Amino acid sequence: MKLIIGGYSQGKLAFAKEKYALSDECIFEDELPSKEEKEKLVSENKTIVIHNLHKWIRKRIKEGKRAEEEIASFVNSYPNVIIICDEIGNGIVPMDPFERVYRERTGRILIDLAKESEEVWRVVCSLGQKIK
Amino acid sequence: MIITVIGGNASGKSELAEDMLERLAEDEKKYYIATMKVGNDEENMERVKKHRLSRKDKNFVTIEKCVDVNKALEEMDADSIKHALLECVSNLVANEMFFDVSVRDKDETTKKVISDIGKLSDKTDNLVIVSNNVFEGGNAYDVYTLNYLEALAKVNAHLSEISDEVYESVVGIPVRIK
Repeated sequence: MKLIIGGYSQGKLAFAKEKYALSDECIFEDELPSKEEKEKLVSENKTIVIHNLHKWIRKRIKEGKRAEEEIASFVNSYPNVIIICDEIGNGIVPMDPFERVYRERTGRILIDLAKESEEVWRVVCSLGQKIK
Repeated sequence: MIITVIGGNASGKSELAEDMLERLAEDEKKYYIATMKVGNDEENMERVKKHRLSRKDKNFVTIEKCVDVNKALEEMDADSIKHALLECVSNLVANEMFFDVSVRDKDETTKKVISDIGKLSDKTDNLVIVSNNVFEGGNAYDVYTLNYLEALAKVNAHLSEISDEVYESVVGIPVRIK
């Protein structure tokens, strides 16, 4: 697994596309692939990209789902995955309780994903810095 | 040795800081200076519980000082080697700035926190300091929050100056910046 993080609109997806020559059919926008989509890509040995993971986490929290377990089981079942996510924890603690939970859970998920990743990149103004 | 670890919310900075102090102190006694004011806030209690759990097997002696952190020295064994972790400066600055119904001026807050931490670092052999990166969420805030941000930023800048090493915690990975 590879993890690419960075602030909003820093060119993370473009960086990933260029670095790993990804085709659009492999990129999932704030969602995990369906069973069928995943099976197809796995059978072709393609890299699966989850873009805007933070948006998916937000949706899952709102739906009362266990985002932590879902994403862990997804990446464990197929390691040929690139996860792209915004860094959202570098501001003042939000007033809204949901926003605090969202920030906290997103941060913890990223720490866990980073531990399992063979590469972690941080993208700032479209430049990738390898931090693991 | 003084080390500062800075990071955003849920960036893994505490765990990194604890590991760093453990490596410096080895089997010797370690103090954990906790600055969070718990009160009756459920979320804060939860947070404190999580931090305590993470430190459970690391043999820290906890000293609670939500203000006047230099006074933590009074609770440490005299004439022994002192290893301490100060967590965290963002709470400390907030506690020193906003108390009861009054507010301390930002420059005075900065001066006091820098001076208190200075007294602490003078008398400890190894000090690991945790601070928070709260500066990248825009600046659409009221004047109190902006004053707080400015005070914390000045304290952080001072900490990086007096530190031998400074790390930014990014998704739990220590990125050395000094």
